[in-house]
Amino acid sequence: MSPERTQRTIGDSLRGFERKITQDRVDAYAEASGDHNPIHLDESYASTTQFGTRIAHGMLSLALVTEMLANEFSGTWHSGGRLKVRFSAPVFPGETVVTYGEITSIDESEGGLTVTCTIGCKKPDGTDAVAGRATVPLE
Amino acid sequence: MVTPLISTAIVGHEFGPYDVTIPADRANAYAAAVGGEESPEYGDSLAPIMVVAAALTKLIDDLGLFSGGLQTVHAGQEVSWARQIKTGEQVEATGRLAANSVRRGNHFATVAVTYRDSSSTEVGTSSTTIIVSGEAS
Repeated sequence: MSPERTQRTIGDSLRGFERKITQDRVDAYAEASGDHNPIHLDESYASTTQFGTRIAHGMLSLALVTEMLANEFSGTWHSGGRLKVRFSAPVFPGETVVTYGEITSIDESEGGLTVTCTIGCKKPDGTDAVAGRATVPLE
Repeated sequence: MVTPLISTAIVGHEFGPYDVTIPADRANAYAAAVGGEESPEYGDSLAPIMVVAAALTKLIDDLGLFSGGLQTVHAGQEVSWARQIKTGEQVEATGRLAANSVRRGNHFATVAVTYRDSSSTEVGTSSTTIIVSGEAS
């Protein structure tokens, strides 16, 4: 196990980042995912919905959170990681979101050490767009 | 009016299998949508969440949620992943309706999905909870 891994402690923050969610990103995400729901792409349709305008795919915000996890736990997130989140609020194109995370426990099992983190993605007003928990094995 | 499957499907209903193999052009679109200076270097591998998103789109289509008049909110998501998947690698997803209830006129549905590679080895699982309101038109 690398020294960097063993030095993790409860209360450590994960390295979050900001990302502006442009309509171009939403359009590209529709191509990538195949989800062409007009609530994400068609302003005239979206104006008739409860949101009143287009919203980003929730999975796009979650994808940013998983990028943070992939950076933080580069060797293990994709091989044994798990997460559970709620989508709390929509992200509107033009908004800049911030990913965040904090280690809340470190547990030892047969497979080695596992960290549990609170994770999420905040909107400009500080409310959560995505919030939940991730569990990742350490190397 | 076509009755969407979510109105009639019972718990245990199976979906798929879906081919959720991600070709290079879709991987590139994902990078354009999500990527930035802080993005990890995936090389020829995919972010697992992209495979989950591809399966989710097919599930939503099969549930009839692209029908006019329905409004769908993605309420919750669980994902677990066993190993990295490469761009173009064959992955198949199968889903099962784990919950489907109606409260105050809204459908609450949860679909559990299993992902397998070409050797039928499980490479990941996911669970999606959605809330659907409105009437299909």
